[in-house]
Amino acid sequence: MSDIIIGIDLGTTNSEVAIVENGKVTIIADAGKKILPSFVGIGDGGEILVGETARNQYLVYPERTVKSIKRLMGQDAQVVMADRQYSPQEISAVILKRLKAIAEDYVGHSLSKAVITVPAYFSDAQRQATREAGEIAGLEVVRMINEPTAAALVYGAGQSEAKRMLVYDLGGGTFDVSVVNVQAGVVEVLSSHGDNHLGGDDFDQQIVEHIQNHLREQHGVEIEGHGKAMARIVRAAENAKLRLSDEPFVQIEEEYLLEHGGTPIHLTLELARSTYEDMIADYINATMDATHIALKGAKLTATDIDEIILVGGSTRTPCIRERLFDEFGFEPHGEVDPDLCVAMGAAMQAAMIAGQSIDTVLVDVTPYTYGTSALGYLDGMPYPYQFVPIIHKNSVLPVRKSEAFMTHQDGQRAVNVRIYQGEDPDALNNIEIGEFTIEDLLDVPAGNIITLTLDLDLNGILHVSAREKASGMEKSITINNAISRFAPEELAGAKRRIEGLFGEEGAETDADRSESAAAAEARNLIKKAESLFDTVSAEDKEDMVDLIETIMAGLESGNDAALREPVERLNDIIYYLES
Amino acid sequence: MKSPYQILGVSEQASDAEIKQAYLQLVKDNPPDRDQQRFRQIQQAYEAIKDGDSRLRYALFHLPSLTFDELLEHAFPQNRVAHAMPAEDFLKLLTSVASDKLPFKTQVKAS
Ligand SMILES: Nc1ncnc2c1ncn2[C@@H]1O[C@H](COP(=O)(O)OP(=O)(O)OP(=O)(O)O)[C@@H](O)[C@H]1O
Repeated sequence: MSDIIIGIDLGTTNSEVAIVENGKVTIIADAGKKILPSFVGIGDGGEILVGETARNQYLVYPERTVKSIKRLMGQDAQVVMADRQYSPQEISAVILKRLKAIAEDYVGHSLSKAVITVPAYFSDAQRQATREAGEIAGLEVVRMINEPTAAALVYGAGQSEAKRMLVYDLGGGTFDVSVVNVQAGVVEVLSSHGDNHLGGDDFDQQIVEHIQNHLREQHGVEIEGHGKAMARIVRAAENAKLRLSDEPFVQIEEEYLLEHGGTPIHLTLELARSTYEDMIADYINATMDATHIALKGAKLTATDIDEIILVGGSTRTPCIRERLFDEFGFEPHGEVDPDLCVAMGAAMQAAMIAGQSIDTVLVDVTPYTYGTSALGYLDGMPYPYQFVPIIHKNSVLPVRKSEAFMTHQDGQRAVNVRIYQGEDPDALNNIEIGEFTIEDLLDVPAGNIITLTLDLDLNGILHVSAREKASGMEKSITINNAISRFAPEELAGAKRRIEGLFGEEGAETDADRSESAAAAEARNLIKKAESLFDTVSAEDKEDMVDLIETIMAGLESGNDAALREPVERLNDIIYYLES
Repeated sequence: MKSPYQILGVSEQASDAEIKQAYLQLVKDNPPDRDQQRFRQIQQAYEAIKDGDSRLRYALFHLPSLTFDELLEHAFPQNRVAHAMPAEDFLKLLTSVASDKLPFKTQVKAS
């Protein structure tokens, strides 16, 4: 029997796991529920909670509960849960572990491989972080596929006529739009665009602010800082939003929300759908702009589209359907449950990779342009950071492209290569996603040729290499957004820590479990520094000892923020000593 | 080296639709997840000849033994141009097609 690979939709608000059995896709339910809310919490007895239970305790114990962690993936951020810090990867790993366990329960044996979906517009760093979350959860992420593409796979399978589809995917935290051609058993993405921080959570936030204003005006209270009351308002706002999809008015009521000046405050507020639609109009306009960019990228216009597919819970908002109808002149499709469609597509792709028969093949593109900077011209003037695109957006994956450059000084022995994501002719206006230096070049006159190769794999992860043509010397890196990346030891540490939360055997003891990744990194660094003591100058040693003392003090107080600066400086010294 | 026409198994007279059909069939049989090398080859062949513009470009750069007349014929097939075009315009056309095909741009690297 071939290995089963599970398909996972790791969503901002909801997650699901699915598999293909006997050619049929099943979303695996846990206690009758197919949707696992993407909430993680620590319960009364210190136990880990995932899903519905964590979501419920969010109202009472927001300080021990984390929601919408996907929004922080790929960022250098930590969240606090029950007084301990966690990286976004670790929290996501907790959700993945739960989904893995749900699937294992269902099939009756252990599972180790998954296809995980990510928003098409997820950047390199966000994809890396997702893969790390998988590793921490003990899952090999055999492939990451884009959410709208996964949905298109579900709709495209079994399609006999050729069709052009627009996939409009608005979930809890992200928006993606893709133009897809489905023909002869191939789902071919022609273009993608999106926004990583636009979704139902933003709509909730608009209502939250509306309620906050109301409380301020009516009762003169500032609710910010009242954790529990805030959590209740967030919940009330989302409920109001859901009801507004079916009703023209809603009544928002929360009794005994908080005490103010000795009197209890009750919230009662009516919200009309039209008022709500005004609040989110800018967001909806932004999705329409992105839709037009995607159409342009596919060199098509609205009239070329045969079908619109709605994906993501937020597409239940009536004004979105109306807007799409106005733009395209026909009703969008939503037969496949918009919350489950993506997980189903992930399972189908997983089955294909596992070697089960293939009915439909996916061909996907990158929504980003990648390139480097070089001495060139900007607006007719010489400029050192002209952007040189190498892989253009909407290129089919996998893609490998090279570009040749020359050194500009005689005897130039090193070249610094920066890699950017974006489209602006001024590289500095694009997002720098990595840099490296190629050293020990031949001592030759200017004009030494360096070829730079960018390789974007099927997961949308970029690999970069540079090569000196004359000597054949090569240097390669996988773009790692240095700030969000885990070193291998840290990843192992994170894995143990998360296993510890689940009370698994072989996990860490309480003492070291209470350490954050930053603290673990600091301890490793100290060991490394000490191992160098014998070989360094007295002066360097003194600097290092000072820094170690500062770091130790930070570790003792458990204050991770205080670690950052001395750790960075110590790192620099070690780097300098070792190179 | 096989030509894109050979890779896709189509004649040089094939229409856009025929080329697309052949491409999709090959992709169906060679998904990117199975054999990336093979998929890339199919993909590149398709991109080289998927429409009139790309076929013209391909013809200009891959038939070095062509005479000027043949080149003209490739550029303006089926007598679409009734009379000869001024040499200057033709050169402009050539360079505009050629500029993004040059093996490397002589860009100077900032250090
Ligand atoms: N009836 C409804 N009307 C409006 N919004 C809804 C409705 N039902 C669900 N939503 C919203 O849909 C969002 C969740 O959608 P979904 O589960 O597809 O997203 P996700 O997969 O968690 O997020 P993402 O794909 O952005 O990571 C939430 O913001 C939720 O409030």
